[in-house]
This record gives sequence, structure tokens and C-alpha cells, in this order.
Amino acid sequence: MLLQLHNVFKWVNSGGQRIFLLKDINLQVQQGEFISIMGPSGSGKSTLLNVIGMLDGFDEGEYQFLDESVHNLKEKHRANLYKEYIGFVFQSYHLLDELTVKENLEMPLLYKKFKGSERKAMVADMLDRFNIVGKKDLFPAQLSGGQQQLVGIARALISNPKLILADEPTGNLNSKQGEEIMGLFKQLNEEGVTIIQVTHSEKNADYGSRIINLLDGRMI
Amino acid sequence: MFRNYIRIAWRNLLKRKVFTAINILGLAIGFGSSILIYLFLSYHLSFDQFHNNPDRIYRMVTEEHRDLIDYEASVPPAFSKAFRENYEYAEKVAKVVVQYGSIIDTETNGDIRKFKEDVAFIEEDFFKIFNFPLLDGSNNISLSEPNTAVITEEFAEKMFGSTLVVGKTFVLENDKAIKITGVLQNLPSTTFLKEQIFVSFVNLEDFFEFAASESWGGITSNLQCYSLLKPNQNVESIEDALLALPKEHRPDSKNKHVYKLQPLSDMHFNPLYGGIDPVLLWVFGIIGAFLLAIACINFINISTAQAFYRSKEIGVRKVLGSFKAHLFWQFLSETFVISLFAVMLGILFAALFLPSLNNLFELELSIQSLLTIEFFGFLLLVLASVAFLSGSYPGILMSRIVPVLALKGKLSHSDTGGNTTRKVLVVAQFAISIALIAATLIISRQIEYATNSDLGFDKESIVMVEVPVDLEPIQYEALKDRLQRIPNVENITFCLSSPGGSENNWGTSIKYNNRPENEEFSIQAKIGDEHFIETFDLTLVAGRNFFKSDSITEVVVNEKFGEKVGVTSPDELLGKTIEVNGASIKATIVGVVGDFHDVSFAEEIQPAFIAGNPNWYGEIGLKINRVNTKETLEKIEQHWSEAFSGYIFDYRFLDERVADEYEAEQRYLSLSKVFSALAILIGCLGLYGLILFFVGLRTKEIGIRKVLGSNVANILALFTMDFFKLILIAGILATPIAWYLMEQWLQGYAYRTEIHWWIFALAIVSIMVITLITISYQTLKVAVTSPVKSLRTE
Ligand SMILES: Nc1ncnc2c1ncn2[C@@H]1O[C@H](COP(=O)(O)OP(=O)(O)O)[C@@H](O)[C@H]1O
Ligand SMILES: [Mg+2]
Repeated sequence: MLLQLHNVFKWVNSGGQRIFLLKDINLQVQQGEFISIMGPSGSGKSTLLNVIGMLDGFDEGEYQFLDESVHNLKEKHRANLYKEYIGFVFQSYHLLDELTVKENLEMPLLYKKFKGSERKAMVADMLDRFNIVGKKDLFPAQLSGGQQQLVGIARALISNPKLILADEPTGNLNSKQGEEIMGLFKQLNEEGVTIIQVTHSEKNADYGSRIINLLDGRMI
Repeated sequence: MFRNYIRIAWRNLLKRKVFTAINILGLAIGFGSSILIYLFLSYHLSFDQFHNNPDRIYRMVTEEHRDLIDYEASVPPAFSKAFRENYEYAEKVAKVVVQYGSIIDTETNGDIRKFKEDVAFIEEDFFKIFNFPLLDGSNNISLSEPNTAVITEEFAEKMFGSTLVVGKTFVLENDKAIKITGVLQNLPSTTFLKEQIFVSFVNLEDFFEFAASESWGGITSNLQCYSLLKPNQNVESIEDALLALPKEHRPDSKNKHVYKLQPLSDMHFNPLYGGIDPVLLWVFGIIGAFLLAIACINFINISTAQAFYRSKEIGVRKVLGSFKAHLFWQFLSETFVISLFAVMLGILFAALFLPSLNNLFELELSIQSLLTIEFFGFLLLVLASVAFLSGSYPGILMSRIVPVLALKGKLSHSDTGGNTTRKVLVVAQFAISIALIAATLIISRQIEYATNSDLGFDKESIVMVEVPVDLEPIQYEALKDRLQRIPNVENITFCLSSPGGSENNWGTSIKYNNRPENEEFSIQAKIGDEHFIETFDLTLVAGRNFFKSDSITEVVVNEKFGEKVGVTSPDELLGKTIEVNGASIKATIVGVVGDFHDVSFAEEIQPAFIAGNPNWYGEIGLKINRVNTKETLEKIEQHWSEAFSGYIFDYRFLDERVADEYEAEQRYLSLSKVFSALAILIGCLGLYGLILFFVGLRTKEIGIRKVLGSNVANILALFTMDFFKLILIAGILATPIAWYLMEQWLQGYAYRTEIHWWIFALAIVSIMVITLITISYQTLKVAVTSPVKSLRTE
């Protein structure tokens, strides 16, 4: 088992009232799964994904990631954990505008103790694999949306994560670009990477092996 | 890693060109001023550091205890010999007497040239105490023979156009032929010694008998006495032993001498004995630090404001594995890159403005003198501390940004933090500017007050010319006659010195109305003929002017004198006798004049008497009508040169001379003007950056406000009110501090202006106006933009 959420609640206090963002979430994810989270806008999909990605905390319940109890970990430990095992893909790509494609890919490696030559090799590998060698010296603004998301995924993959979390990765793309990205996810999943994605589209959800539906912070 | 930081830093800087430019420019001005201030300070701190045993060299000085204590950087003429021969403390003792403006003639191949120079008469050991070597590097200088001299390389060039001048002669004061026996290497600018010509002490008696004598009777400021003590001497016990000297040699004097040893290192920094005021150096250093601080504040403010725009980048970096420390160092390297550019630009600024600094302080500092290890150490230190001070706070703020919020784009401007800090820092900037403006106003008011107040005498349209040698009374009459006949000359007086801006002050003992003892105070002798009072337009308040006479039998005193001897009505003084300068003058008081400011406003008016004595005339004062001034001056010169052939004509207007008394104040004024201008300039750069940011932040809000009916003025007020509040707070903080400090400064003046609250109000209002001007361009730009445009960007 890769991760397990057990009776997880998350809330905010607003005007003396407790507003629940997540209610009693129970979820088990095995290695190699491809899960799609669906639900209307505001139902808590992003919140759930951020909790899984350890970017955000929760108020009650337990969270087991590999052998670690995430709810008991210190902030710094938690950060180390997600930095090692999890890659993030965002709807709006979040590439750094002032870095080239190559540098964007290299960036996560800089924060881990890789040598310059190793970094070069890993970046070259990724550029090859995603077929973007020709774009390596361009800046994000010079790429189409689909190409940017490709770089975003390549960046998420470069440090070999066990889990990829993607929040509406095709939300800003046209349908053809979207299909390409989903095809890529499918392929990565077949190579053994666990994927959890948030999506609005039934068609995208079908690429996955399991669908989780959220409504008002509750799994239905 | 570090290369990566720098590369990204570089791109970030290019991307935000305006902010980068503001930061670099502000810091560069700060650095430039610091470099100049460093130059200035290191110049002063290096004074007389090059002698062989600087810690054993002392100047002998005197405290004159009367009703007040006077500090004289001199000792009686007999002191030198006594200290050398009757005491065991010193290895070497030497006195120096300077004759200012001596006439020197040289002849090279029949070409006769005249110079007016300060000449030092020195006792032999002078060059054994101090390290002023000859051209060959030795100090083999003997001036024991009369009519010998050494001169500096520079002056040799000036006199003869060559440094091969050993054996040549010059004529001193149209009288003595003096032979040059050596040429000294040029004196460094960082020494107390300013003279270029050094003549055997034996010759002094022909020119200044008193200083050449072995007298304990008084002190002349032309004389200085130096000593190289034997190793391991206790200065205090020497000073104790010296207490015996006045007891033995001047037992009856009301002017009690106490002789002190002033260390060489103290000479340049002790204002009591004519040194510069070390407070000035402190003020300089602190102001340099302030300017840098203001530039750092700009930097911090702009960067923390920027943190909002950069929150996405920071969020991404954190999610992708960056630790806080990474972000912190990344930001610090950006700061470092900016500071590095600023330093380079700062050095350029310093080089550009060095000539003005030199001009202001009459210095010859050079930018080359910066090529020292110390300077690079200083630069590195300043660079590192500026980069760290201005980089670390924004660095911490940015590294604290919470990634989820940043990525959601949900961070509001206040979440990125630094709002309060920013306000505090802006207040600090404003406060510094307000204090500097207030200081400038107060200094200029004091100068204005000192130069434009009624000084008790007339200083307008009075030309002062020198009397270089004593004339017979009959010659004076003849000269006066001729001068009188020049059309625009209205009044003429021969005198020792003019009132105000005097060069020849002479204070001496006084016995009043046959009292048994001399008075506790000393009296200023204003020696002048019977036209003195009329020419300088002093006011007679009682009695009459003295009549012309061959010797002093009648005097006029000032009101202050009456006050000092305890007489309330000037009329009571009339008919009383006074004895001045021992009993050398005995005379009857026939008149009393109103007080006049004989010295600068820093000092109290002193008791004085006016009497005529042709033996002591040093100057001629001519009241002229200012039409055809040039022609009048030419005529004066013509008659003067006939009477004093062989001398060089020189004149000075009395009002200029009075203004010169305030040279130091004028410098303070120029400096405080420059510093306030710089502080305001850097501050404005920062304001401009901030307003650019705020306007960007609130474009949409402004659009909405306009749709809802706001006009341009409302919107301008929206932005300015925030700043005005900060300025008011800054004013409230700055006022008491600046008030206190300037009050301290004014305490140094016996006659001074008062500080008024409106000075500070004026400073605050001017900062408000400057702020309004700075921010209105950007604000007006958005305020007049069509709201549709700013809202459409959403
Ligand atoms: N920190 C927060 N404070 C208050 N409300 C929040 C916070 N984060 C999210 N929400 C609210 O929780 C709900 C779920 O948000 P989200 O997870 O972003 O929904 P979605 O399913 O559209 O991704 C929304 O109504 C959102 O406004
Ligand atoms: Mg969402």
C-alpha cells in the first residue's frame, strides 16, 4: 500500500462557525493505481489533493504514507517526505517564467544533492523522453499550452517520484492537447508510476482505474 | 548552486528594470557618499602618523587661568630653553616661530621676483624631533648658523624653477640675505606643519624681538614649542613639575599659567588648541551610515513589496523541493549582485564629486589614495553588511511564504508580510530627511543672524590694507594726507586691527581706578588713531573721543568694561584712570562706546579699550564710497606702494573678513545642504518605487472607484494621505531629536538664534510637497486612465 487516509476531517472557522472542507475521508491507494477525483466546483477536490501531497494539513484523522504516519510528523520531515516521493502537476503549469525549459527541468535537482554531470544527464534524458530537445533553450512564454504542460510533467517526473498528483492537468488545454497529456499519463502509469488526478471530464477519468466522487467535502 | 543563484538573480533583475535601477541608483549614492566620507575621515585620522616616535612627541601648551580659562597652543618664549636645560625629561626640545606674510625676494639671472610667504624660524632640533627628510632622505639639517635656511622642494620650484638651489640666497623682509643649505622633500598634506621656508632661529630677533627673547612675560600664538620625551615618561608628573615655572617666573601675574603637554596625536583633534572638532568627524561618519541606511531601506521596501509578485515563483520552488535556506540564499545573492553594481557606480560617483569635496574643505584628496588594503577591506565590509542588511529581511519574508496559498493565487498583498515593517522604515527615512532639513534651516539662520545682525560697528565699504613696517609719525601723516585726497575715500584710520574679524587680537592685564590689584579679566587693546571710532562708526555713549597725542594719555572703553569693573552707568567711568599691560600704559578714560562684536558670535564680547599709539599700527582702514571702487582701489595701491616700497599690496573688505569668521559654519551649511539633498533624493527614489508598486496593486480598485464616481483628486488623495500620515509621524519623531541636537550646537554660541517650532513645520511641509511631486506622476497616470481599460485586464 502506498498511502491511506483514515477518518480525515479538515475545517476552517469562520464567524464562529466551523466550515468543513473535508469530511470523514477514508481512502486507500495501492502502488500503480491511476485514480481520478471528480466532483463539482468547490467540492474539495484540490483540498484533498493538497492534503495527500502534504502541502496542506488536516484537523482530524490519520494519514499513513508508505511507513510513515504523516499526521505525527514535523513540518520539516513532512516536507522531506513529499520532496522525495511526490511530483506535482498543475492546471496552470507553474513553470518559472525567467528560466528556460532546460533550467526548469533542472531546478528540482538543484535542491537535492546531485552533481552537475548527473543533473545534465537526467535533464537530457527527460528532454529525449518527452521529445522536446529542440525546445530546451526556450522560455515558457515561447511555448504553447500543451508544450508547457509537457514540461510541467517532465519536471514532476525528473526526480523519479512514486506518486504524481495532478490538479486538472488539462484544464487549460484544448481537447487534442488534453488527449496527448492523458496518453502520456496512461503510459507513465503502465511504467509503474502511481497517479492521482483531479478532472472534470468523464473522458479523462476513463483513463484511470478508479474514480472518487466528492460532494461538499464528502466521498460519495 | 551559487552560479545558478547568480544567473537567476541576473534575469530577475533584468525583468524588473525600473526597480533594479532604483535600487542600484539609491545604493550607489549611498556607497558614493560613504567612499567620500571614508576618504575624508582617513585623511584626518592619518595626520602626523609618519614620525619616528609619534607617541613620545608632545606640544607644550598653556592654560591661562584668569576669570575664565584660555587655552593657548603656545608657551612663553623662555619655556623652550628652560625645559631643555633645567629638566631631565626631554631628549629634544625645539621652538618654532612663524612670521606670517613675510616678504621674500629672489634673483635668478637678473630677474627679481617677490613672494609673500609664511616663514618659520626654528630651533635646530626641530628636524630631529619630526620626520621631514631632505631630498636625499637624510635629516642632516643644521640651522645653527645665522642667515641659513632650508626650503621645500615645492617652494624651491616656485622660487627658482629648480630644486638644485643649495647655496643660493634669497632676501627676507627686504633686509637679510639668507642662504639655502638644504631642500626638504615636499611635506605631506597630513601634517600640522604648513610652512615651506625654515630659517635659523638666530635670525628671529631682527623680526620679532619678543618671540626671540627669553621672556616669561606673555604668550604669542606665533610660537610653538615641541618636545621629544625620553622613553617611558609620566606626563602627569612632568606637568606637576612644570607648575614651579610660573611660580618662579611670573609670581605676581593675575594671568596664572599652567603648562601642559599635548600629545602629537591630540593636536589635530583638539579644538581647544586649534584642532578640528572630532564631533565633525563623528557627524560625518553617522551621516554616511544614515545615507546607506536610507538606501538599504529603499531596497528592503521595494523587495518586500515585490515578494507579493514573486510568491508564485517561491511557491513553485518550495513544492519542487526548495528549503527555506535555499530561498534565503537565493535572495541574498540577488541583493549581492545589485550591491556589487551599486558599489561600482558608487566609486564612479565618488570620483566625480571628489573635486567638490576638495573644494569645500580646501583639501587635495585623490581617488588614487584609495588603492590601499584598508580601503578594500572597508569596501568589502560595507558591501557585505549592506547586502546582508537589505537582503536578509525580505529573504526571510519570502522563504516564509506558504506554497499552497501562493499557488492558488490566493495570497493577498498583506499575507506576504512586511507591511508594518515597510511603514516603520518609511517613517525612519522621512524622519532622517526632516531632521536634516531642519538642521540646514537652523544653521543658515544662525549664519544669517551672525552676519546680518548689528555688530556694533560698520563693516560695509571698509577696505583694510596692511602696514607692513612701522613708519615715523610724520610719514603716517603724509600717507594719510595722500590717501585722504583720493576722491571716494571718506574716512581713514590707522590701527592695530579692525573691530570684527581681527587678525591681531591683543589681550592684556588691566588695573582700574588705582585699585591695588590687577583685575581678574584681561582687556582687549584696540589700538587706533583718533579716527578709529568715526571710521568704524562705533557709538559713543558717554564722554568724548580721545584727542590726538604722541603717547597714550586718554582712552575710550566699551560698555562691557564698565560691566566687568562693576560700574552701572557709563558716565561714572569718565575721568577714571586705568593702567594697562603692567604699567606700560597709564591713561584717563574720556569716553565710552557701545559694545561691538570684535570676535565671532561664538564668543562673548570682551572688555576693550581704544587708544592711539603709532608704534603699534598694523593696518589701515579706509571707509570708501562704493562708486568706481576699482579706480579707488588702484589709487590706494599707488599711494601705499610709494610709502611701503618693496612690499606687496593686498586688501580685504571688512565685511568679507567678518564673513570669514564663519567659514566653518558655511561649511556645515554646505554639507547639511548636500546631505539633505542626498537623503531626499534617495528617499524619493524609494518612494517612486513604492508608489509604482502600490499603483500596480490597486489598478483594479481604482477602476472600480472611478466607475462609482471618484474623480482624479479623490484618487490622488487616496494615495497621498497614507504617506502624509507617515510623514507626520516621522516629523513628530524627528522634531525633538533634531531640536535637542541643534540646541546643543547653538549652545556653542554666545549670541545665537532661537529654534522655533515653525522650522520643523516647514521641514515637514517641504517633505510633504516633495512626496506629492514624487508620487503624483504615477498616481495621476492611473487616475486618468479609462476605468474600462483597467477592469478589462481581469
Ligand atoms: N483556506 C481556506 N479557507 C476557507 N475556505 C477554503 C479554504 N480553502 C478552500 N476553501 C473552500 O473550500 C471549498 C473547496 O475548495 P477546493 O478544494 O479548492 O474545491 P475544488 O473542488 O473546486 O478544487 C471551496 O468552497 C473553497 O472556497
Ligand atoms: Mg480545484
